[in-house]
Amino acid sequence: MTDWIVLLAAEAAETTSEEGGLFDFDATLPLMALQFLILVAVLNVTFYKPLSQAIDGRADYLRQAQAEARERQEKSRNLAKQYDEELQEARRQSQEIISAAQAEAQQQASERTAQAQREVQAQREEADQQIKSQQAEALQSLEQQVDTLSSQILEKLLGRDLIK
Amino acid sequence: MEYGLNVLNSFPLATELGVGEHLYWEIGNVTIHGQVFITSWIVIGILLVASLTATRNLARVPGGFQNFMEYALEFVRNIARDQIGEKEYRPWVPFVGTLFLFIFVANWSGSLVPWSVVELPEGELAAPTNDINTTVALALLTSLAYFYAGFSKRGLGYLKKYIEPTPILLPINILEEFTKPLSLSFRLFGNILADELVVAVLVLLVPLFVPLPVMALGLFTSAIQALIFATLAAAYIGEAVEVPGEE
Repeated sequence: MTDWIVLLAAEAAETTSEEGGLFDFDATLPLMALQFLILVAVLNVTFYKPLSQAIDGRADYLRQAQAEARERQEKSRNLAKQYDEELQEARRQSQEIISAAQAEAQQQASERTAQAQREVQAQREEADQQIKSQQAEALQSLEQQVDTLSSQILEKLLGRDLIK
Repeated sequence: MEYGLNVLNSFPLATELGVGEHLYWEIGNVTIHGQVFITSWIVIGILLVASLTATRNLARVPGGFQNFMEYALEFVRNIARDQIGEKEYRPWVPFVGTLFLFIFVANWSGSLVPWSVVELPEGELAAPTNDINTTVALALLTSLAYFYAGFSKRGLGYLKKYIEPTPILLPINILEEFTKPLSLSFRLFGNILADELVVAVLVLLVPLFVPLPVMALGLFTSAIQALIFATLAAAYIGEAVEVPGEE
């Protein structure tokens, strides 16, 4: 163990005598800087630009899609409102038509009733008249018969000669 | 600095871990730390593959990996937006975001990938943020970024911030320009290095189970350090683009 440490210490003493060390600055520094700048430029083309564009493009796309969706929603809401209005209008119209038809039917029914009543009235009057004329006729013929009969009765009672 | 270096390197266990050893590559007449570049390329590769996979088939409804990367993007975007403000944050998202992603993936690679398994002729593979060069590079870039942000937003009027609110604070304000990158880089470097050292020392002492809680803590601090670095960078930029008296 001790030998080992001594060996290492000897090795250490050897290395210190050589050039080098922790703070050994040389052309590594500028070359590394140059290399890093090139890396920045290359990554800018292969990494930052395309991916930034992809991210920004996606953000734009989402914004656009959202706006479109909002627009469509607005449109569909308007359409629904319009349909609602149309439906109400149609309902109102149908109500109107129904009530108009009802009124018409009512009117027709009353007209018909009135007409029928008039006809009945007319027929009754006609029948009345007929009855009256027939009555008069009957009375007339009855009167004639009364005359004949009475003269016949007289004849029979008084004899033929008397009457003439 | 020299003293601290000696203390660290004369600590026997630390030398075993290969602290301060680097795999030197020579390009022209300058040297670079090869192990840092190897791991940073792997980190960059992970980031590129991830971003390419996520953006290959962009779908409006994100699924699977695209979703995950979009979450990551939203996360770094939020960091930038919270610190810089809704109006100015957009151009800074790539910088702040890459800071976060790079540091995060680098830190986590240091905690999760067993780099030490790979044999190198010298030094060893570790998280790129384990090297002071990387963190100083990132911190200096942050400084440049907020200077650029300030000057492009307010022109030379940006320099007025040094004498605001009073000229007495001029030395402190100037000092701040040095402490900002210094604290940024050393905070990240120190945390990551310390985490790796603690785990390595514990592994050396007790190889089984005992290091696990520390490793979990390491994952946590790694993520927090990435977040802190990116947030502070964004905050400095936000401070620079903020026009006083306007809100």
